Amino acid sequence: MPKQIAIYGKGGIGKSSTASNVAAACADEGYRVTIIGCDPKSDSSITLLRGRRIPTIMDLMREGIDIREEDIVFNGYKGVKCVEIGGPEPGIGCAGRGIIVAISLLKKISSAIEDTDLVIYDVPGDIVCGGFVAPVKKGLVNEAYVLTSGEYMPLYAANNICKGLARLEMTLNGVICNSRGALNEEKIVSEFSKEIGSQLLAFIPKDVLVQTCERDGFSVIENAPDSDIAAVYRKLARSIMGKRDGKIPVPLDDKRLRELTRI
Amino acid sequence: MPLKKEKEPLIMHPRPSSIVAALYTLRDLDTDVVILHGPPGCSFKHARLLEEDGMRVVTTSLDESGFVFGGHDVLVEVLEKVIERFNPRRIGIVGTCASMIIGEELHEAVTQVQPDVPVIEVEVHAGYRDNTKGVVMALESALASGIISEAEFERQKALLKEATMVEKRHGAASKEYLEPNRGDLKYKVAGRLLELIKQGKKGLNILNAKKETAFMFADINLAVAEVAQKLNAGSNIINMANLDDNVGLPKNRRNALEIKGDLKEKGFKIHHIIGGLDEYPVAGNTADRIIGEKYKDYDFAVISGVPHALPMDNIKNMELFSITNGPRQVVPLKEMGHTHVVVEIDLHPKTLGVSHIVESEFGATLRELAKDA
Ligand SMILES: Nc1ncnc2c1ncn2[C@@H]1O[C@H](COP(=O)(O)OP(=O)(O)OP(=O)(O)O)[C@@H](O)[C@H]1O
Ligand code: SF4
Ligand SMILES: [Mg+2]
Repeated sequence: MPKQIAIYGKGGIGKSSTASNVAAACADEGYRVTIIGCDPKSDSSITLLRGRRIPTIMDLMREGIDIREEDIVFNGYKGVKCVEIGGPEPGIGCAGRGIIVAISLLKKISSAIEDTDLVIYDVPGDIVCGGFVAPVKKGLVNEAYVLTSGEYMPLYAANNICKGLARLEMTLNGVICNSRGALNEEKIVSEFSKEIGSQLLAFIPKDVLVQTCERDGFSVIENAPDSDIAAVYRKLARSIMGKRDGKIPVPLDDKRLRELTRI
Repeated sequence: MPLKKEKEPLIMHPRPSSIVAALYTLRDLDTDVVILHGPPGCSFKHARLLEEDGMRVVTTSLDESGFVFGGHDVLVEVLEKVIERFNPRRIGIVGTCASMIIGEELHEAVTQVQPDVPVIEVEVHAGYRDNTKGVVMALESALASGIISEAEFERQKALLKEATMVEKRHGAASKEYLEPNRGDLKYKVAGRLLELIKQGKKGLNILNAKKETAFMFADINLAVAEVAQKLNAGSNIINMANLDDNVGLPKNRRNALEIKGDLKEKGFKIHHIIGGLDEYPVAGNTADRIIGEKYKDYDFAVISGVPHALPMDNIKNMELFSITNGPRQVVPLKEMGHTHVVVEIDLHPKTLGVSHIVESEFGATLRELAKDA
């Protein structure tokens, strides 16, 4: 059974860039990796494919195509299998339903989520409806991670995600801090992790390389393999691939959350 | 390059729903209570009709806030209440567009409640092009819970594929828009049929009906045989029927036996069994083969039930009297070359909750006209 993980966190906090860098780092270590973009804006795999946009499952479905595996599963950096679910433009239709339909099609026609070592589900920031937790509900995710900075709002979102996980009786396998340069950030997130019953796995500094590589269509692992930031992602990747038991998180109350960010 | 499927043409007239198809399938599987997880009005008319057949249908009555906040809790509540109130031996839970779009997991409620009777979960909505999809989904779930065998499942699946093809070729899915039509006047058609019988013409009398609709369609074939007998032309008529009671789901076998019992009592002899009650999509082929071998030179044929499932090869030179219950089936049948097409309007509801043949309008007309003959 592969490790099947999902990274949750506030919108724009860095989930997709963390996911693709971790995917690339794991591929470097020789693992077989699959990344499933569950975001209608389909931006999860682009830095693994040298900036290339692949057709999304929902686009092909809409065109009435008899979808085969090779139409939707693409090999990216070092053989990372990339899939984008896609979906409607903001404000139209129902993206959540798209995820449900696409996931069940993928399960049926492809072994990419079974015959592999690591599957990463890259979900959009806000779990707005049932569809976005379909991978969890359908039993396709066995480890969840929360990505946050040390600021109040991202932590507030992280805490909310913990509420959702607890309700789904889903375990949390670790917290990742993606720094936005707030004061005392590592300490705050580390304390938060402890209090919800988890642990801080990595502190990713803010580094402009992430953005410049991204703009050129690369992960830092591929384009800046010797950089400090690449080393951080590598360490995180190793830590994720290592065996660790998760725990159902215990969310904090808002008062405690505010106190925490005042440190 | 991805293979582009030939895009299926748009069909505008309303057609049978996959949700309803799943409901009927659960009934055939002897399910006691079905929970429709969705809005209170969903599939109302059929849910009500199915109660005539002894299957309870209840709804979780999702409302606006259910759509927004999800319906898990109410599904759990209804499931618990159903167990408590009806003490069922077999439960079904059927999805609807509303619950499926918001991503409800039917199984979650079952895991939580842990009923000690089998639960057939069908995650279906009404947005499938062919309603047979609802049947397949219900059967898949019945297979998963060990209620039907793999062999029966494969048999049903093959039949459904044929049923879908029959509708595509000459049925409800054959055109972008089909005008509903009341068909030819029963009085006139019955008159013409009597004339042929009186003239001593040789005729085929074929029942090829879908499941319980045979309770009424059989009455037409019975009437034909009766009037022929009365006019001393009984030996000119060959009867065929899809009333094999050794195939299909429990209810279909039961119904075939009941109808055969009634026919026998009335002295109706079935010369050829052409299949079971669920074999209407393929029984026509069996009939076609028999006709080709023995009755090619017959003058007319009465075909009740699903006349468009009978290949035209061996009957195209006969005068055809077809009886359907679909007002949208009239035009396609005429186009196929059926001379007379009669519609038994609202037939299906009258065949629910019955165990004996039900009088048909066309049968009654025929018998009445024969009185003065
Ligand atoms: N450690 C970092 N240093 C510098 N920039 C970063 C870092 N992590 C992420 N970014 C940048 O932040 C932006 C948002 O990141 P990303 O798209 O990964 O967020 P997301 O959480 O996936 O967003 P969404 O919720 O919209 O899917 C990107 O431009 C990315 O390059
Ligand atoms: S739209 Fe779907 S859920 Fe709503 S009433 Fe019709 S069949 Fe039922
Ligand atoms: Mg993203």
